[in-house]
Amino acid sequence: MMKTFSYIAWLPVLCGGLLMQQAGAQGLGGARKSVSSVADVQRQAGAAQQPVMQLNQPQTGQMEHVPKVGQSYVDPNSGETPNPQVLGMEMPLLDPSGDTMSYNGAKFDVGNNAVVRARFEKYLNQNPDDSTEAKRYRKRMNALIRLTQKTARTRREIGSETLEKIGTGLYELNEYDGDGGQATSLASAIASAVAAQYANRNRNRKNDALQKEIDKLVYKTNLMTTRNTNRGQSGKNTAGARDGGNSVPAVANTFSIAHNTKKIATMEAAGVKNDADSLAATELAKINFQSTIVSLLLQRRYNHALIGAHTYRHIFRDGDTTLKLDSDSQAAQMFEGGVGLPPTVSTMATMAANMRRDVDQNMEAVANMLALNKLGEATNSLIQAVAIGEYMESVATFPMEGRRRIAEYWNLRKRALPALNARDYGALEEIAAKMKAMDPDFDDSMLTTYCKGRKEQSNLHLRNAAKAIKAGDEETFNAEITKAATIWPKNPNLDKGREQLEKIDNQDHIRDEFRTLIARKEYRTIFNEQDKFEVVAIDAELKNQYKEAITLISTIDGMLQHMQDAAKHDSVMGPCAAYEKLLESGEQDPRYKEDPKYRDALNQFALAAHDFTKALEQAKSSEARREYGSALANYFRAQCLYPPSTLAGEGVKRVSEIILKAKF
Amino acid sequence: MARKRRSSKNKKSQLPMALGGGAAVLALAVGAAVVMKPSERREDSPDSRFSIVDYRHDASRLTGNSYRLVARVENIETLGNDRLVAVSLPNNKQERLPLLVRSGVTGRVNLTRGDTFAFYVQCRNGQDAQGLDVKGIMVVDKVETE
Repeated sequence: MMKTFSYIAWLPVLCGGLLMQQAGAQGLGGARKSVSSVADVQRQAGAAQQPVMQLNQPQTGQMEHVPKVGQSYVDPNSGETPNPQVLGMEMPLLDPSGDTMSYNGAKFDVGNNAVVRARFEKYLNQNPDDSTEAKRYRKRMNALIRLTQKTARTRREIGSETLEKIGTGLYELNEYDGDGGQATSLASAIASAVAAQYANRNRNRKNDALQKEIDKLVYKTNLMTTRNTNRGQSGKNTAGARDGGNSVPAVANTFSIAHNTKKIATMEAAGVKNDADSLAATELAKINFQSTIVSLLLQRRYNHALIGAHTYRHIFRDGDTTLKLDSDSQAAQMFEGGVGLPPTVSTMATMAANMRRDVDQNMEAVANMLALNKLGEATNSLIQAVAIGEYMESVATFPMEGRRRIAEYWNLRKRALPALNARDYGALEEIAAKMKAMDPDFDDSMLTTYCKGRKEQSNLHLRNAAKAIKAGDEETFNAEITKAATIWPKNPNLDKGREQLEKIDNQDHIRDEFRTLIARKEYRTIFNEQDKFEVVAIDAELKNQYKEAITLISTIDGMLQHMQDAAKHDSVMGPCAAYEKLLESGEQDPRYKEDPKYRDALNQFALAAHDFTKALEQAKSSEARREYGSALANYFRAQCLYPPSTLAGEGVKRVSEIILKAKF
Repeated sequence: MARKRRSSKNKKSQLPMALGGGAAVLALAVGAAVVMKPSERREDSPDSRFSIVDYRHDASRLTGNSYRLVARVENIETLGNDRLVAVSLPNNKQERLPLLVRSGVTGRVNLTRGDTFAFYVQCRNGQDAQGLDVKGIMVVDKVETE
């Protein structure tokens, strides 16, 4: 039963005050089946039907798939069933497996629904309602509940002192603003029901009087009939003497009898009409009262509903407390809780009492969980308690400190979903960390793992984009950037990708500049501004030139660094080795000689290894003049200064061979 | 600044001294020229007459000159029976002087690395197979053990 009622309890959460207005507007008209039965009674009595009842005739036949008033449309082929209706109002259906609510053709996430959020946040930001007026109100309310419970076991009378006390008490409750006029509505419903009962009593009295009059007329008519019969018999006996003289009185009686008979029939019909009117009025009064109780229940005014349910039996003493619902409807099945019995006013009283107890237990649990810093569970329990019993004393007087702590946690939780929807994984991780700090029981593993995975995914696409731009594949670059941004729009690395895009936009100018530098063999300028010229790699031809330039300067720099280190390590042969290596490299690749840094280094090492370089230069010079003796002596000199010298060794070998083969 | 004029008396007294000095300088110059001309005869001492530095700088200038060099064999390159020997002189052990030793020149002397010999050499020009000059080569004429 409690599970069943949890479906109903969410209704006001979603519908709020609007639903109550609907209830007021459609309340009586909604109970189509019940009103129909009343109409049947009236039809039997020959009375004219009222227009409102005609309007609310049940719709059958050709309009099977057309939604009823207030009911969402459901495609008959969709396999879904429309939401049930109570008293003509659509009932929201909660799916506990998904925490979704189906209402008016739409699905809502009750954990993060705008209306739920708004109401719960309003509650969290309200001060505890423990004013003097509130205390007085609750005191009066409890007194009324006790009174109705107590008198439920005693003899009940229309217009009794108890009913007067209940009515007075309800009107007094209305003095408190927090009541929202619910007590007055209930009091009005009670007054209407009592008025209907008084009207019934008057009709009963009239029927009694009619019955007495009918009895009198019947008696008189019987007498006249008997007298006519007697006169007829005596007339046969004295036919000769009184022939035609005494026939006038018999005719007069005959008319009287006919008149009486007609009058009796008329009064009988009036009596039947009164009975039918009483029956219809009673049914209407019951429906009216029941709809009030149901409305109070749906608005989570359990105290009012409880008072109404208990008072119901004061007013309607026929023992029929069955709710006027279509027994085949889902709503009726929800109220009966699947046990197969028709729902009654007592059922609603039981529901109201149970909900009050549940709310109090929930609030007790909230206090306990707050003491243990279990803010997540406390928040869930408080949401449930507020959703079920927002107007209950235990909820309304919940301390501000507890509300503040839960509000803080709730705000974090509320921010999580928008952050998730916005795919702001950084913010989401931050929220998870804060929630974990506030509530050690909060399981953030799934959230953080998910965020980390998505961030990695985004970064992976960015890496692919970087590779693509280096490979000159602009199409793949764009696709990868789009993927990365889709997965994690706030990825800070996207800015780098954006810069790459801007570079691509400016690449024509850069490409021209690059070509000029290549033509001038200014490879070091390209190397120094390699980030700037990286975009030229989109062009396959320039890409190779770019790579060559970067590789060349990187090689030169690496070699120079190595030579510098060697020269520092050995100040005698180090410069010789460096000079020879640089010279050799320059001979092998003429582009080396275009690099100013290379040239500077070569000059620097030549200066440091002056004797060696001078010997080599003289050797080459002498060799060019075919003075092989001097050349060989200089090569020997260079070899003495730097024995591993390749240039000197080769020179010695080359010149020696010439000398040995020559003729003198 | 005006220079102080000297008296004519002093000029007359300095004339014989100037003539004597000039004659001495002329005699020195002639003597030096005679001494410094080595091409016409073989030098026994390599110490002051032959310089590797000069040879490295311009060997052609020494073409035709003959020397007796006492030197230590540092390295030997062989091509057939001819050898190219790198020697170091006692006054400059840091440098090597290449000497071409033709076959049969050494006689019974066995040139070995690390040993010192007396080389009788002459700076000559030759020709390669194409008839091109091969200038300033120290060709050994005779080797003696030292």
